[in-house]
Amino acid sequence: MADLVDSMLDLMRRLPPTRIEENVASLIGICPDYADDLLGSVDQPLQLKTDRATGREYLACDYNRDGESYRSPWSNEYDPPLEDGTVPTPKLRKLEISANEAFDTYREMYYEGGVSSVYLWDLDDGGFAGVVLLKKTMTPSAPNEPSGSWDSIHVFETAERGRQAHYKLTSTVMLQLTMKKNDAEDDDRRAEGREGWKCDGEVTLGGSMTRQDWPIHDSSSHITNTGKMIEEMEIKMRNLLQEVYFGKTRDIIYDLRSIDDLEKTRRQRELQKELVGFIKR
Amino acid sequence: MESHERIQAACNFLLQSPPGEINDVLNDVRNIISDDELLQEGIVPALKKYNLAQFITVDIPETNHQSIISEAAQLSADSQEGEGQERWLDPRSKRSFVFDHMALEASDLQRFEPNESFEPFRAALEKASLKYLLAHFHDGVSSVFSNQTTPNRFILQIVANKYNPTNFWAGRWRSEYVVNLNDHSVQGTILVNVHYYEQGNVQLSTTHSISIALPPGIVTASPESAGTKILALIQTEEGKYQTSLNDTYHEMAEKTFKSLRRALPMTRSKLDWEKVLGYKLGAELSSSKGAFATGSS
Repeated sequence: MADLVDSMLDLMRRLPPTRIEENVASLIGICPDYADDLLGSVDQPLQLKTDRATGREYLACDYNRDGESYRSPWSNEYDPPLEDGTVPTPKLRKLEISANEAFDTYREMYYEGGVSSVYLWDLDDGGFAGVVLLKKTMTPSAPNEPSGSWDSIHVFETAERGRQAHYKLTSTVMLQLTMKKNDAEDDDRRAEGREGWKCDGEVTLGGSMTRQDWPIHDSSSHITNTGKMIEEMEIKMRNLLQEVYFGKTRDIIYDLRSIDDLEKTRRQRELQKELVGFIKR
Repeated sequence: MESHERIQAACNFLLQSPPGEINDVLNDVRNIISDDELLQEGIVPALKKYNLAQFITVDIPETNHQSIISEAAQLSADSQEGEGQERWLDPRSKRSFVFDHMALEASDLQRFEPNESFEPFRAALEKASLKYLLAHFHDGVSSVFSNQTTPNRFILQIVANKYNPTNFWAGRWRSEYVVNLNDHSVQGTILVNVHYYEQGNVQLSTTHSISIALPPGIVTASPESAGTKILALIQTEEGKYQTSLNDTYHEMAEKTFKSLRRALPMTRSKLDWEKVLGYKLGAELSSSKGAFATGSS
């Protein structure tokens, strides 16, 4: 029943992104048989874990999960420990270590903080696939300061054809922004001498956007290729998010309510029409 | 999962529906629960709760206006004749009606006699609010209710919806003002919801509450003049709020967004990946090339 999964995905596309974890858990409760389908296709905020061996933070998602345990990219160990947890082949693990170091540099350059993790796994056809994760959270230093978080999930597959490497990249960025306001800070209002007036409120702007790409690179190292394609994709998506979050949603508010007097505009338009009619005569 | 838990989960999903998408959510939920009989009985309370909270509008038969379904529109049991169905009020046409929360239709219209002593002020607020709607809302609906038992207490509600499924977005503006002439106050709430879902799911949700102290001059004025003045205050506050949202947007874009992820590194150029690898790894380059070579089919 493929369309059951479609319905679940459609539902997740409509319900508030701020409640995604709760809603996914609830769907799994209703249809436990579809848990893997759902967890594999709905991106959820990345969880922050600390590597017990190195003390370094890493990111947990469905791709480094085995049962209830998550594998750290730094020590390659599962937490809680697993005797026979899935790990990449030694060769791929070597590449994974390098990729983690490279994207750690990338993270520092673009995020100036946050956490990154890269996980790779072998594919049956001899190739491999991987996921590059980046997360940064901003916690407000004062109640009226804005807070927010950015989660990037880049899933890619590689296939080699002749001297070229073909990639399939699916990127999701989850962006959450919150701001609380209350009139204790509102100097305008105090300046107007409106003592009995009060106001407070909250603005949350959150969600996720997903894009795909199929880049082809000449055979240089996989890390250089994936690095370049993920950098390009994140630049593209950052522009897209900026446009949708701060442009589109704001425009929609203006489609609901107008600050200017619409009646005035209507009257002006009528007048103009009359004037044009008058000139034509 | 027990059937009552499944219904609970279904209701929970319905209550989270973005503006204008309750039918889409309901269709998904029907497919997921796949037990129409169970659903049909179980979800009516949730639909009612959703309609009340979201200020769902209903066409009033024999008029060319819409009225808001909300807690304020629900007639209390003792003002209803006889037992049975819940009735709702359209104060503008002075009609009460039965409301179908699934089909969103009004039926069985009856005349409603409002408390005459509150009616002049209510009607004045209504007149001023309709004028305000035309000036500042595209497709807005408003209803003004007078409290039938507490004197001098009025509730003014406004809702404006825009649904554009072809372009994957929807928006809703709700505001409510409790005008209390006894303590000279207006308590207001403004709620804005926006959903943008083209290849993604982005939602804006804002809450804003205001409390305004009414100048004594307004309270003692004629209903006509008081209504106009109260709506002028509301217009100023809502305009101010909309402008302040622009500032919030600006602040979130400049402060939060920029410090979460830079547009480009401090160097103002993209990464030199060969160099990144070279720095840190040196020997890695050959080993990753090795992985590349052995992976070929």
